[in-house]
Amino acid sequence: MSDAKYFQTTKRGEIHELKEELHTNDKSKQKEAVKKVIAAMTVGKDVSMLFPDVCNCMQTPNVELKKLVYLYLINYAKAQPDLAILAVNTFVKDASDSNPLIRALAVRTMGCIRVEQITEYLTNPLLKTLKDEDPYVRKTAAMCVAKLYDINPDLVKEQGFLDLLIGLISDPNPTVVANAVASLTEIAEASGMSDIFTFAPEALMKLLSALNECTEWGQVYILDAISTYRPSDAKEAESIIERVIPRLQHANAAVVLSAVKVVLGCLQLCTNAESVKTYIKKLSPPLVTLLASEPEIQYVALRNIQLICSRRPNILANDIKVFFCKYNDPTYVKVEKVDVMVMLANERTVEQVLLELKEYAFAEVDVDFVRKAVRAIGKCALKIERCAERCVAILLDLIQTKVSYVVQESIVVIKDIFRKYPNQYESVIGTLCENLESLEHPEAKGALIWIIGQYAERIENAKELLEAFIEEFADLDVDVQLQLLTATVKLFLKRPSNTQGTVKEILQLATTKSNNPDLRDRGYIYWRLLSTDPEKAKIIVLAEHSTVQYDPQKVDNQLLDLLLHQISSLASVYHKPTSSFLVNTGRQAQPTQQSTNTSGAVMDVMDLLGGDLSSSAPSQPKAQQPVVNDLLDLMSDLSFQPTSTPSVDMVGSHSLPAKMNSLLTADKGGGMAVDGILVRSGGKISYELQFKNISAAGPLSGFAIQFNKNFFGLTNAVALQVPTLTVGQSQTVSLAMTCKEDKTSPATPSLGLQVAIKNATGIYYFKDTIPLEVILSENGRINGPEYPQLWQSIPAANQVHTSLMNPRSLFVDIGLGGLGLEWFSFGQFFHRGFSHPPVPPFTTFAFFRKPVSSFLYLILNPGTTE
Amino acid sequence: MINSIFVMSPTGEVIIEKHYRGYISRTCCELFWNEVQQASNPSEVKPVMVTPKYYVIHVQRYGMFFIAVVQRDVIPLLVTEFLHRVVDVFRDYFNEVSEESIKENFITVYQIMDEMMDNGIPMTTEPNVLKTMIVPPTILGRVATSMGVSDKSNLNSDLPEGMLSSIWWRRKGVKYTNNEIYLDIIEEIDCSIDTNGLMVTCDVSGEVLVNCKLSGMPDMTLSFTNPSIIDDVNFHPCVRLSRYERDQVMSFVPPDGKFKLASYSVNTTGQAVTLPLYVKPQIHFSGTSGRVNVMVGPKSNLAGRTIEDVVITIPFTKNIATNNLSVNHGTAHFDDASKVLRWEIGKVPKEKSPCLNGSVSLVPGTETPESGPTILVDFKIVMFSASGLKIDALTMSGERYKPYKGVRFVTKAGRFQVRS
Repeated sequence: MSDAKYFQTTKRGEIHELKEELHTNDKSKQKEAVKKVIAAMTVGKDVSMLFPDVCNCMQTPNVELKKLVYLYLINYAKAQPDLAILAVNTFVKDASDSNPLIRALAVRTMGCIRVEQITEYLTNPLLKTLKDEDPYVRKTAAMCVAKLYDINPDLVKEQGFLDLLIGLISDPNPTVVANAVASLTEIAEASGMSDIFTFAPEALMKLLSALNECTEWGQVYILDAISTYRPSDAKEAESIIERVIPRLQHANAAVVLSAVKVVLGCLQLCTNAESVKTYIKKLSPPLVTLLASEPEIQYVALRNIQLICSRRPNILANDIKVFFCKYNDPTYVKVEKVDVMVMLANERTVEQVLLELKEYAFAEVDVDFVRKAVRAIGKCALKIERCAERCVAILLDLIQTKVSYVVQESIVVIKDIFRKYPNQYESVIGTLCENLESLEHPEAKGALIWIIGQYAERIENAKELLEAFIEEFADLDVDVQLQLLTATVKLFLKRPSNTQGTVKEILQLATTKSNNPDLRDRGYIYWRLLSTDPEKAKIIVLAEHSTVQYDPQKVDNQLLDLLLHQISSLASVYHKPTSSFLVNTGRQAQPTQQSTNTSGAVMDVMDLLGGDLSSSAPSQPKAQQPVVNDLLDLMSDLSFQPTSTPSVDMVGSHSLPAKMNSLLTADKGGGMAVDGILVRSGGKISYELQFKNISAAGPLSGFAIQFNKNFFGLTNAVALQVPTLTVGQSQTVSLAMTCKEDKTSPATPSLGLQVAIKNATGIYYFKDTIPLEVILSENGRINGPEYPQLWQSIPAANQVHTSLMNPRSLFVDIGLGGLGLEWFSFGQFFHRGFSHPPVPPFTTFAFFRKPVSSFLYLILNPGTTE
Repeated sequence: MINSIFVMSPTGEVIIEKHYRGYISRTCCELFWNEVQQASNPSEVKPVMVTPKYYVIHVQRYGMFFIAVVQRDVIPLLVTEFLHRVVDVFRDYFNEVSEESIKENFITVYQIMDEMMDNGIPMTTEPNVLKTMIVPPTILGRVATSMGVSDKSNLNSDLPEGMLSSIWWRRKGVKYTNNEIYLDIIEEIDCSIDTNGLMVTCDVSGEVLVNCKLSGMPDMTLSFTNPSIIDDVNFHPCVRLSRYERDQVMSFVPPDGKFKLASYSVNTTGQAVTLPLYVKPQIHFSGTSGRVNVMVGPKSNLAGRTIEDVVITIPFTKNIATNNLSVNHGTAHFDDASKVLRWEIGKVPKEKSPCLNGSVSLVPGTETPESGPTILVDFKIVMFSASGLKIDALTMSGERYKPYKGVRFVTKAGRFQVRS
């Protein structure tokens, strides 16, 4: 029998049984019981109620049992902070055990229990173990400082742990040095303050000598730390390079790339051209070797190589063949290789590169990769003029294949070549025009239309070709429509004799049949231009184009500098500074790092709160509103941490109102006043509306209503029927509503409902809020006894725990929603006290039945449920 | 700093989750799994992914997914290398890595993962050292535990000696009655040959694998007759890098047991490598049928060595309907589902050239392929070094005994591809 037995399905009363086993005196049975508990924990079962019983087993000299208990503690301490304190005594005792393994284990586990209350007890043992005689204990303690910083940064600063940690850089044991460096790096990152970790030249020497003796992981952290050091002069920079260069031969790819980073950094300070050349020469073989590793390492290496080559293209200029794709490389590797090939291609190697690219375009099966190869051929043509002719020839060959995506991509690429080298390759236009029918992709259509317009005077049947497109005008993409409009105008200016009808037709289409403002505007501009001064129009429309340039750098210089400092990081993989692609940067999130769409999210919050936040919202900068982050994250990740939601008293708008709300006042509604309320009865939603004519103008008639797209797809089921209202008259109608599945509904959860009402005098807009109880269906109602069972049946992955910080606020949010799922009514059990989950008096609900990934989130305080 | 590590079965079930810096919900694994299901093949999933809250870095081995979730910018290669190391250690401990083996040993798995990383930073990853702290499961031990006979813990309750010494990869007090050290130098030829039989790329890379069963603290020195053949080399941490930099000699105190001493790439810019065998494919399609002719044979005399385990794999396009392909040597098998032909030649005979001949027909109405498929070639030559690398001497100092030393060269096909 093996450990697999612990995974067998569990029976009723299992918890009780385990409890008894944990209290037995038989040590081996006790150990078995702990193993079972951990197995249950592994498969996602909640065994947190056994906390005191498991803690009971902690006082044991048996290291295995101790470790198992610690494993459990780390997992559940957060949920049971009060009970975790119980374990503290044992930790403190263990931290002065005679066995260094136990001392280290205690200090290590204490740090992993991420409970703030425990930190004060941690201070003393940690101070002691940082000065322990055993290096194993010291290195564990060094790491613990970073853990402590994560939970309680102030404590770390107050107690002088940082200085102790910096002192450990001079430790005689290299592994302790490495861990101290790793710990400091971690703290520097978490705090966002890089000045925590700056070191003097003496410390640099210590790091360099520790480099030779510590583990590979330690080497990575030390090299990373060295890369932040600014050498004072060229001599120092060279000496660092000399010491680091042997690391390029390490088996660990992370060590290699970090060493490359240090060398590249120091090279900037080197003045001696000869030695720079020597060092550069030493960099290329290790980079090439990275490409012989597993694909996942290759991918990261390739992304970094692109950055390095942007700055120093000569490093790998002779190794271009290494980047030729292998048949069984994954596509993500091939795509990056092609990019590097184009970057490295020069007069000498371009012929070879083109042969390869042609091979990929012909023989590969992956559509995206083939496209990439075709694009790359175009880039070669733009980059190296001498090979442009060869490129065009290859592209024509590709067009002959008649494979639609190859043809389309080739045409797009040829368009760019035309723009870069005008009046050279127009002889191929005929071939291009033969392939009209295989074009589906808008970009390709646009490209061909541009070519037709640009060379209208040389293309015999330009008029017919464009007319064919005009026929299907309505079905074209807006970008293609714009392109077609311009091309037709060009055609007219170049060959005005028989194309007047055509241009008129397109101008008509653009200005009357389109609802795209850009297209209409452009149509009007052309129309006016043509009708006032055709000669001027010629100057404007047929103006010289700026030529397309090959831009070898995918990133601009400033960013490149930044990224070169971050070689071997995720930023270097994404070619973006870290701040721009990770929303959540942890507790120390920097306000400046907010993504651009925050303002949109703020708007949604406003919607949610009834449309007017300005009066009550605290006037903080937008980016600092934690709600914003949570809303953004909510859509794709279920971890949800409301911190301090803006304190807005919402009680009124959500408790079931007794009367209609005023929606539109007479002064805003042109004499029409509207009151209304959304209600649900018998499973049907209706909008109770009262219309009043308080105008002086006379009777109102011709009423109609329309709802803007909203999160729930709520809209009217029938047309609005309101009779003509004479002055002073009022009429109440009940408008049947329905929730329609609509893919275009806004994805952001919001209770806002925008309504437009039309009458003979005009259209009037107002906003209402959808009361949640209207959307929730009755059959989701859960009775008291059912509730705890359902609660427990929720898979751990779908659970989100949260506590409400501000008892005056109410925040309702619905995430990952969508229609066709069961909404639940909560009214039934607001008032009931439940023993589990233990969060009274506030109740936090996270509930969903189907589909499992959807959930409804509700946080209420007692005040709102009265 | 790694936040959490998840191990996912080939069917997407999370079987191990280990949190190093607070709990992270399994939800991010679901996002990852969506990505896997959308990909044409799991191996096409990018190794680095970004979800709204976390980065997900993963490696795939033995059909399983080893997923690291991180919250802040990290050194991705460190994460990847660490995951590789985790897999290697599992294989070392349990002889195989599979859903069953991990579930069967999950307590050991957790103990290992606990020891390998602290606070998201790798700690002890050297299998030698790990094994002195956590004893690998043995069948006997398992039987004893299940019968309740033994309460022996698999954890060593004392810190292993020398763990933090400057020779942290070797445990102290190793003893063998027979002191032996074996070197396997395995070279791989990666090469692409174009339709005209010209070499597009050709790289030779090698690995020096060591199985060391030596007592005490032996200090080894390995030197080559022609070290200049080695262009770039990566060493196990035991190798003294500065010594190699100076003398081009590998000097090291070996870890106990099996390890990879070095991997190197061969300088091929000077003279082209002569390939040990030729593969001449002629595959042409016209209309609804195609002619196939592939010839294989030895190219150079290989110092009298024979080419073994030759396998030719031809992944035909999916629209092949029928085939009548025959071979004059070995066995050929055409897999109808994947349309892959696997031709096992075995040893290449001296007297005749193995040949595959015949025709294929296409599903009517489908596209005629523009060019033939890329053919994959596999082979092995024992006691032959493609690069011509020669060992000068392997000497030992620091111990008194005289060890038995064995050296073996093997040349294999790496990614050896012939376009047709």
